[in-house]
Formats: sequence, structure tokens, C-alpha cells
Amino acid sequence: MSSIKTMTATDLAAENERLRQRVAALEAELVDVQARTNAAIGDWQERAYWLDRTHIDLNRLMERPGANEVRLTLRAVRAVWWRLKRLKRRLLGQ
Amino acid sequence: MNTVSVVIPVKDGERYLEELLDALAREGPEETIVIDSGSRDRSPQIARAAGVEVLEIDPAEFGHGRTRNLGAERSSGELVCFLTQDATPCEGWLAAFRAAFALEDGVGASYGPHLPRPATSPMIARELTEFFAGFSPDGKPAVQRTGDTSFLSNVNACYARACWEEIRFRDVAYSEDQAFGADMLERGWTKVYHPGAAVLHAHDYGMVEFMRRYFDEYRGLRETTGHLERFDIAEMVRYVGGAVRADRRWMAEHGVTGLERTRWTLRAGAHHGGRRVFSAIGSRAERIPAPLRRGLSLERRGDAGAGEDRVVQPNGAGPPPRPPELSPSRHIDQMLKRDDYDVVDRIWREGPAPLLEPVPGMSERERLRLALVIPPFSRGSGGHNTLFQIFSRLERRGHACSIWLADYHHHARDLWPAALRNDINEFFASFAGPVYKGFDSWQGADVVMATGWQTVHAVLGLDGTRARAYVVNDHEPEFFAASTEHVLAQDTYRHGLHCIAASPWLRDLLIERYGASADAFQLGVDHDVYRPLPVSRLENTVVYYARHSTPRRAVPIGLMALAELHRRRPDVRIALFGTDKPLHAAFPYEYHGILTPPQLARLYSEATVGLCLSLTNFSLMPKEMLACGLPCVELAGVSAESIFGADGPLELAALTPAALADALERLLADRELWHRRSEDGVEFVASHTWDHATDEVEAGLRHALAEREAVVAAI
Repeated sequence: MSSIKTMTATDLAAENERLRQRVAALEAELVDVQARTNAAIGDWQERAYWLDRTHIDLNRLMERPGANEVRLTLRAVRAVWWRLKRLKRRLLGQ
Repeated sequence: MNTVSVVIPVKDGERYLEELLDALAREGPEETIVIDSGSRDRSPQIARAAGVEVLEIDPAEFGHGRTRNLGAERSSGELVCFLTQDATPCEGWLAAFRAAFALEDGVGASYGPHLPRPATSPMIARELTEFFAGFSPDGKPAVQRTGDTSFLSNVNACYARACWEEIRFRDVAYSEDQAFGADMLERGWTKVYHPGAAVLHAHDYGMVEFMRRYFDEYRGLRETTGHLERFDIAEMVRYVGGAVRADRRWMAEHGVTGLERTRWTLRAGAHHGGRRVFSAIGSRAERIPAPLRRGLSLERRGDAGAGEDRVVQPNGAGPPPRPPELSPSRHIDQMLKRDDYDVVDRIWREGPAPLLEPVPGMSERERLRLALVIPPFSRGSGGHNTLFQIFSRLERRGHACSIWLADYHHHARDLWPAALRNDINEFFASFAGPVYKGFDSWQGADVVMATGWQTVHAVLGLDGTRARAYVVNDHEPEFFAASTEHVLAQDTYRHGLHCIAASPWLRDLLIERYGASADAFQLGVDHDVYRPLPVSRLENTVVYYARHSTPRRAVPIGLMALAELHRRRPDVRIALFGTDKPLHAAFPYEYHGILTPPQLARLYSEATVGLCLSLTNFSLMPKEMLACGLPCVELAGVSAESIFGADGPLELAALTPAALADALERLLADRELWHRRSEDGVEFVASHTWDHATDEVEAGLRHALAEREAVVAAI
């Protein structure tokens, strides 16, 4: 024989209240997630300002033939430049 | 078997005419008519010697469509063939045309390939061959129906008389055959390309003549079919390169080598490039001055449109009175992916997106997800300043806020989202959240806020929201005369958005006139900027917000009032600001242009009386004047009383020059009144802060959510 527990009015009210609190908690969590997402996108937009102002879409730019090679070359040049600067500092004892 | 008539329009065509007529004699049509339009060579004699009928017409009466119609009328065959004077039929030509019309019922016309003559340049020879091979890749006759190419060429074509009688050639200066091809397919006739109905034909024009012919061809195409030839330099370079390579292959296959091949290669580059240029110019001929147009045309046509439309009268009575000519129409390509008002159209057709089910208690929740939808803005926009002052404060209170730009008229086309966000921060108020352009990334919200009539229909289309609110800065239908904008602005109040109006007057108007649910908020004042500054106040100085570009400011009447004041009190110094250029006025004045808020505060602190008029909702400017201790004259009977009362800190006057001048004079003359208004004003607006305005707007947003809860609970 199954043991079905009969819920009293008090039990129902308590369950309702528990569910309401759960909904409220989930709602608060949703707002919190949205607020954090907004902040992250806002921060990204802050950093992307000059790209947007000058209409540069870096992803599209880097899809062009040779773009990645240019980037790697610049990186290599920069590494050499930094090494030279370090060497200069070392030689001059700075 | 169908009887065949052949019609050949001729002018100075002796070079190939004899050869052509000999070939026709071999093919054996029942009737041949040569229509000569003023040849100065032996063409008529050649034709008569060949035993064909010669019809001579005045050169001025010639028209490509008109003359062919004449030929068809004068002939009697069930099939009417048209040849040009330099197109020589190849063997089997006539049999092929007869076979074409026997392919099925409803064939209205047939045409065949143009084969190059032996001396034809490699470019033309290759193109002719490839062009016609494209109509029949398998070398068999091809039936063309509605939706297929409308190409048809009267160099070598044959028509069923019934089809010609129904369609007839248009009386156009060029491309009458192309127009016929399009017309007949549209009426349900079919046409047949028959590879066997070939003629020897080539336009062996010189370089310049060739270009001018293309100018005429594409001009004719534009006039008959609306075709606009694209012109793109990079694309042209690619095209010319490809065509020259193909010509060189052709030459190699046909034994053209060495110096000859080099010479033709150079000629091919000029040929293909020049043709693209002249085709593009020809299809835009109507934009070129008439003398230049005439110079570029091989046929010396300087007219802008469809050319002469005279017809030959059978009784020789001469041309009838000409009806007025239409100016040439221009074909316009679709310029937008959708209509500017597409969003409105969608809402009217499909209705608003459904709202989410409300969650009990959502209106009381501490933090909400809020989305502000704005129209495009520029620096100094008062309405946007109000929105951003409030929205930045809502964000600081912990609500999750985002801003969305609805730009259906492309005013902010050049602004990308991060730049928009920066401008909001720079021009108006600090905002840390994201700014989106368009709604591709729409994420839903507890409340989405429309902010101007242009944004409401966009907001109605957004899903995933629990409530919609409408921050109404002004009664915007009054911004427009009878127009689409007027109607759409009125429509925005009738979609059940909860309105949060920028004055009690505006709230009451929305409720009474449109049956909207509405709250009100009071515009705030930035008291850090607008306060009585420690500068001495000048005597007898009136400052006027003369924003002439905003019609609701009634600037002409304001200027009349100041002119009246000047007549009464020439000693009064008048200063105008808020306009980017000086206005014509019947009195001398000092011009300040557009001022920054600190400069405005200085001006208000120095002046004696301010004048600022609004025919619709009350604006922020009088409040800012009052905050600086400057008594101000405004219009009575509009919206000011709803905020300040009938005898509050503002001096109210009717909208007549005399009444306004009276009010200004009262404040200038009555020191006791001036002090009372000044002190009352500072005191009155002290509580009008942006924080307070934000409280009221936030209450309105919660009200919008509570209304949704109440509606669903009632159901």
C-alpha cells in the first residue's frame, strides 16, 4: 500500500512560501548574472573604443591573406627590438 | 509551309547588299522588301537589279522600331524576317527558321547566330561565337520562355506575323528588338534560338566608332529595359584581363601568331576596356550634357530620351501633333534591404511580441533588468540628457542596465557601438554598461523602455520582456504637421505601454487623449552647475533661448516680443543664445551662440530676466534659469502651470508679442516682484534633482510591472 502523505493547508502555505523564495533567489541570480555580463561587455567596449571609432574590425582584418604573417613579423621585430634595448641597458649598466 | 517575307532596312549598304540578296535568292523567301532611308550609294539600284521591292523613305522618318513596323505592314508573309544590310544568310538559313516555328505552338519569334566574317577582329569573332554558343550548349534549337533571356536581335530574326501584330516594335531609338523580346515573353509567347539560321555578320568598326556604337547600344538598353551597366574599376581590370587572355587563346587556336598576335593583344585591351567605359557612360547618358551626348553618339543623338517619335502616315499627310514627351525615367535599384518603416509595418501586421508571464512580486524586487531603447542623438540633445541622467542613476542603484540604439533611418550609420557608448559618457552622463546598435543581441529584460516615438514600434517587437514602459519627454505628434510621422507618433500611445511622462500636464494629456496608463516625473536640475554664482547681476538685461531650429520654441513670436520690448525700453540689453548662427531681428542684441552648462549658469547668474517659450511640454531650461536666481517668462496655458502653479515662480504670459513684452517689462520694472520670483524660483527648484526624477521614473517602472501582475492575476 502506498503511503501518500496528505498535505495540510499549513504544509501548502509553507511549500508555497518556499517556492516563492526560490523564485526570488533565482530572479536575483538572473539579475546578478546580467549585471556582471553587462559590466564585462561595457568594459570590453571601453577597450574597443578606438577600433569602433575608426571602423576597424580586427577579426575581418586578420582574415586577409598575409595578415597573420604581418603580425608574426611585427612580433619578431618587436622581440629583437626589446632584446637590443635590454642589451643596451646591460652594456650601459642602467 | 509558312510563307516568308524578308525586310531589310538599308542606308549606304552597298558593301554587302549584293552578296546578301544573292544569298536570299538562294534561300528562296516568297517576298523581299528593301527599305532605303536616303542612301547616297548604289544600294537602291543594287536592290532593284536583284528584283526585290524597294521602299524609299525620308531619312528623318527612319526609326529602328518604326521602320521595321512599316516593313512588316507592307509585307504579306506569315513569317517576317528582318536582316541588317551587312548580314548575309548562310545556307539553310530559311529552312532553319521554318523549322523553328514548327517546334511547338506559340513560337512568336526566332533568331540565329551571327558568324564572324573572315576579316573580323579576333575579339569580336571570339565573342560572337561564344555568345551565341551560350544559347545552345548542345547545338540544338533552344526554346526560350518567360523567365529566360529576352535577347533577340534584328540583325537576323524572324517573327510570326500574329506575334508581331500583337506586340509590334516600340518606337524607340535603339534596342527595339530587345524590348520586343521582353514584351513577347511577358505576353506568353515563346522564342527559339536556332543555330542553323546563321548569318555572316560583324561590326568591323574602327576603335572610336566601336566605342560610340556601344555608347548608343547601352543608352538604348537603358531606355528600353532600364538596364544600368555597373562600373567598378577593380572589376573592370579583372574583366579586361580575363577577356584579353581569352582572346589570346582564341588567336592561338586560329593560327594568329607573332607580331600580329601582339598587335591584336594591345588592341584587345583597349577594345574591352573602352567598351566597358562607354557602356557604363551610355547607360547613364541622361546625366551627360546634350552636346557631349551628341558627340559620343555614333548616330549623333543629343536628345535625352527615347528619341523622335514621329510616325509615317499612310496617306502622306505628315506627322500628327506630338503628344507631350515624358522626361526620361530612371531605373532605381533597391537601395535598402528593407523599408525604413519596416518595423512599423511588422507591428501593424503581426502585432506586438508577447510579454513574458509575470513573476509574483517582481515589481517589488530590489534589482531589475532594464533596457533603454533610444533614437539617435547628438551633443546637446535635451531629451537624451534627461534619459541618460536618469538611466545612469538607475544603473548606480544596482539595476542591470543596457542601452539599445534603434536607428531605422540610418542617422548613426557611421557610429559603431563602442563609439556610441563613449559619446553617451562624454556628452551626457556616465554609463558603465553595454551599448548596442540594433537588436541582434537582444537578451530580454524585466522592463524595456521606449523613449521616443521612433523607438516604440521597435520595443513592441522585442520578446523576452515582462513589461514595456515609455518615457515620454514631450507630446511628439505636435512636432509634425499632417504627415506619416504625426500619425506614427500618435500611434505610439495606443499600444498599452505604461507611460512615464515628463510633467503632470503631459501625463494628463496621455491619459485623457489616448487612454494610456501614465505616471509623471519632474525634470531634474544639476544643482552643482546651476546655482546663483558669485557674479554681479546686470541691470536691464534679458536673455532669450532663441533655438530657431526647434519650431515648438516659437522663436519668431519671441523675437516680435523682444522687438516690442525694445521699442518700449531701448535701454534694455538683449542677449540671444541657443542657436548656432545669429538671427535676423528688428532690434540690436548680443549673440552668444550655443553655450556649455557652466557658461549658461554664468549667463543666468548675470542676467535680469530670462525668456524661454515652449508650445508643448515644459522644458528644463526655465528650471535651470530659476535655479540660478533668474526670473523667467514662459507661456501661460500650456504646461507650466502643471508644475509651478498659476502664480508660482514663473511669470506667465499669453503667446502674443504685447503680452510677452508686458511680462518682461513687469519683471524689469518691479523690483519687489523680481525679488519674489527669484527667491521663489531658487526655493522651488531646490527639490527638483535628478535623483528625485530617478525615484519617480523607477516608481513608474515598478508600476509597469505591477500592472502586468495585476492584469494576469485578474485573468
